[in-house]
Amino acid sequence: MKVYTLRVLVVLMSLITATGFIVSCTPQAGESQEKAPSFAETQKPKAVYGKIQKVSVGATIDLDMAHEGKEIFEVKCMACHKYDERYVGPALGKVLERRTPEYVMNMILDTETMIDNDDTAKCLMQEYLMRMPNQDVTEKDARNVLEHLRDHAATSK
Amino acid sequence: MKRLSNWMHLGLALIAIFTLASCSNDGTNKGVGVAGDAAQKVYVAPGEKDEFYNFVSGGFSGQLAVYGIPSGRLFRVIPVFSVDPEKGYGFTEETKPMLNTSHGFVPWDDAHHTDLSQTGGVADGKWLFINGNNTPRIARIDLTDFRTKEIIEIPNSAGNHSSPFSTENSEYVVAGTRFTVPIPNADIPISEYAEKFKGALSFVKVDKTTGRMEIAFQLIVPGFDYDLARAGKGPSHDWMFMTCYNTERASTMKEINASQNDKDFILAINWKKCEELAAQGKGTMANVEYAHNVYNDETHSATSTIKTSVRVLTSDDIKEALYYIPTPKSPHGCDVDPTGELIVGGGKLATVIPVMSFSKMLKAIASGKSDKIIDGIRVLPYKDCLAGEVQRPGLGPLHTEFDGKGYAYTSMFVSSEIVKWSLKDFKVVDRIPTYYSIGHLSIPGGNSTKPWGKYVIAYNKMTKDRYLPTGPELTQSAQLYDISGEKMKLLLDFPTIGEPHYAVAMPAALIMKQSRKMYQLMENKHPYVTRKEADTKVVRNGNDVHVYMTSIRSHLSPDNIEGIRVGDKVYWHVTNLEQDWDVPHGFAVIGNNNSELLIMPGETCTLLWEPKKAGVFPFYCTDFCSALHQEMQGYVRVSNGGNVALSWNKK
Repeated sequence: MKVYTLRVLVVLMSLITATGFIVSCTPQAGESQEKAPSFAETQKPKAVYGKIQKVSVGATIDLDMAHEGKEIFEVKCMACHKYDERYVGPALGKVLERRTPEYVMNMILDTETMIDNDDTAKCLMQEYLMRMPNQDVTEKDARNVLEHLRDHAATSK
Repeated sequence: MKRLSNWMHLGLALIAIFTLASCSNDGTNKGVGVAGDAAQKVYVAPGEKDEFYNFVSGGFSGQLAVYGIPSGRLFRVIPVFSVDPEKGYGFTEETKPMLNTSHGFVPWDDAHHTDLSQTGGVADGKWLFINGNNTPRIARIDLTDFRTKEIIEIPNSAGNHSSPFSTENSEYVVAGTRFTVPIPNADIPISEYAEKFKGALSFVKVDKTTGRMEIAFQLIVPGFDYDLARAGKGPSHDWMFMTCYNTERASTMKEINASQNDKDFILAINWKKCEELAAQGKGTMANVEYAHNVYNDETHSATSTIKTSVRVLTSDDIKEALYYIPTPKSPHGCDVDPTGELIVGGGKLATVIPVMSFSKMLKAIASGKSDKIIDGIRVLPYKDCLAGEVQRPGLGPLHTEFDGKGYAYTSMFVSSEIVKWSLKDFKVVDRIPTYYSIGHLSIPGGNSTKPWGKYVIAYNKMTKDRYLPTGPELTQSAQLYDISGEKMKLLLDFPTIGEPHYAVAMPAALIMKQSRKMYQLMENKHPYVTRKEADTKVVRNGNDVHVYMTSIRSHLSPDNIEGIRVGDKVYWHVTNLEQDWDVPHGFAVIGNNNSELLIMPGETCTLLWEPKKAGVFPFYCTDFCSALHQEMQGYVRVSNGGNVALSWNKK
C-alpha cells in the first residue's frame, strides 16, 4: 500500500514537472558566463511570449534612443542588473548575443507572461529565485533601453 | 404637568421597545429581524469586490477606517489626527508637520464626523473631510491615495463638533464650535459664561481643483453649544442648518442645566449672504493663531504654516443671514432631505421628530414675526416653520438619513433602534432594533440629493454580548441592514476600530478606478530623493548626517556605512525604487526612537536616528517583500569621536 502511494506520488510529481512551472533546465554555468545556452534555447523555432511580437532593429544604432535608454536603464534597471557581472539579476552587457530583441522587450514589459510561459525565463526564475519587478517602463522607454544595450555592447567591445 | 406627561410617554415607549427586543431562548440576544438569506446577501466571494466603500470615523482613535459593504471587511485605517506607527504617520520627518497646531505637536485627537466632497449635491469621489474635535481642526483626505493631505486648525473654536459638513458643491465645509469660549480667549471667571462666552462658526473655503482649504470667514454667535449641521440643497442651496443646545447658557452640570428648555434651536445660516457681506469687507480681521498643514504630493512632505488672521463677522454684521428655528429638545442631528425642502431635527430628549419646511421658513422670515430676538438674531415662531412632527418615534432621536424613495431613517439612541418613516405624512412605517445604543447611521449617499438606498448601517455605542469577550474593553461595532424592501432586515454585525462615530458610504465604482498605484520616480521631487542606485551617498553636515539610500527587492543601498559618531543626528532618506503596485519596503535601525518607515513604490521617507552608543548596528527592511527579504539588511558602524572616516559601499 505504501509502495503504491509512493508510486502515485512519483507519477504525479512527474506530471507536474512536465506541465507546470517547474521546467527542466540544464545546469547553467550562470548568466555571467554569457555563453552557455540553456536547454530551452536549443529548441527552435522558439515561440514569442508577451505583448511584443516583433521588434524592428535598425542596421545602425540610433544614438538618441540609446542615450534616453541609458537614463532609464540607470534609474529602473541598474539597482539589480550590472553590465558585466551577475548581480541580483543576470548581467546585461551582452544580453543581445544570447536573447532576441523580442525577449528583452517582453521581459521588461510583460514579465509575468514571460516567467509563466517562456522556458528560458522559467529557468532563470529557478536560478535567481526572484521575479523581476515590474518597473512601470513604457514601451517607448523599453525600446530605448534595448537600443542602449545594443550601443553598450558595440562600444565596450 | 407637561413635563410629567412627557415622561409618561417615554416610559410607555420604553416598555414597548424592551418587549420588542426581547431575548431568544438561549438567553443571548441574537437580534430581531435577521434576514433569512442574510449570509448570501453579505457574502463577497473570494476575489470578488464589495459594492460600496464605507468611510467610518474612528472616533476617539482620531483615525478613519475604510470598510467594504456589504461584507463589513476592514481594508485600511487612514491616519488623520493621531500618530500611526504602522504607517510612520506623525513619526517620519515628512509627516510630523501634519500634526502641528498652535499648541505644538498634538499626537492624538478625537475624530467625529465625515463628509464627502460633492458636486451638485452628490459625492464626487475626490475628497473626504473629517473633523478633529478636541484641538479644533478639519482634515482633507485624498480619495486617490487614501492619505491625509491637509489639516487646518480652527481658531476661536473650542471643540470642533459641528463639522465638517459640506455645501452642495463643496464651496465650503463648516466648523461650528461645541464649547463656547471668550473670543478672543481671555483669563476671566467662568461665572461670566452667560455674558462673555461666544460661539464661532467658521466657513472653510475649498478650492474646486486642488481641494486646498482656507478659512473664508467666521461668524461670532450667541454662546450656545453648536452640535451638528447640514447644508441645504436645491432650493435651499444657499443655506446651512446647524443645531444647538444649551440655549440655557449653563457652564456647569450641563446634563441637567442644559436640559431645562423645552426647545433649543436650529440656526439657519444664509452662507451665500455671509459670503457677499464678507466680500464687501464687512466684519473685522481678528488676530488669531492657527496651523495650516499641507502635504505635497511631489515632495512627499508636509509643511506647517502658522497663520495669524481671520475675518470675523458678528451678528450685527449679518443680521439678515441668521435665524433661529425653535427645535425640541437638545437637538443633535440636523438633516436635510434629498429635495432640500425638509430639515429634520433630532432632539435627543424630544418625544417627537420635528420636520421643518424650508419654504415655510422663508415665509416666516418674510412675515417679520419673531418669538424673540437673541443678540440681534430673530427666533422664528416654531409652528410657522414646521412641516410636521413624527409622533412617538421612539426614544432619543439622533440622526436621520434618506433612501431617495420617500423615506427617512432615524437612529434612536435611547430605545436602540432604527425607525423608518414617510416623508409624505411623517408616519412611522417600520422599526428594527440595533445592538446596542445606535449613535449615527449611514445610507450610501443618504445625505445627498441622490441616495443609493440599498443599505443602512448602524454605528453602535455599546457592544455588550455581541462578540467574543476580550476583557473589559470590547470591540466596537456596526450593523448592516437591508432597506431595499418594505421592511428593514438585519444582515450583518461587523467590528470596527476606535468608536465608529459617524460615516459616509458611496459606490466603490466611483472611487476604485482612480486609485493611485505608486509614485513615479521621475516625478519624485523630495529634496533627499535618490532616483538611482548610482546616486546613493552619505553626506555629513556638522552633526547631521544624511543617508541617501535606495531600496529594491531585495537590497538596501548603501548597506555598509562607517564613520557615524555618537551624538550624530542621522537622517535615513530611503527611496523605494520599485515602480509596481503593492511593493512597499520597510526600514528600521536598532534603537530608533520613533517608528519604522513604510515606503510606497517611488516614495521617499525619512527616519531620524540618534545613536547613543558606539558599536555596529544592523538595519533592515521590515515589510516582507520577496523570497530574499530576510537578506535585505545592512550595518552601520557608530564610533566615539571622529577617528573613523565617513564611508559607505558603492555597488
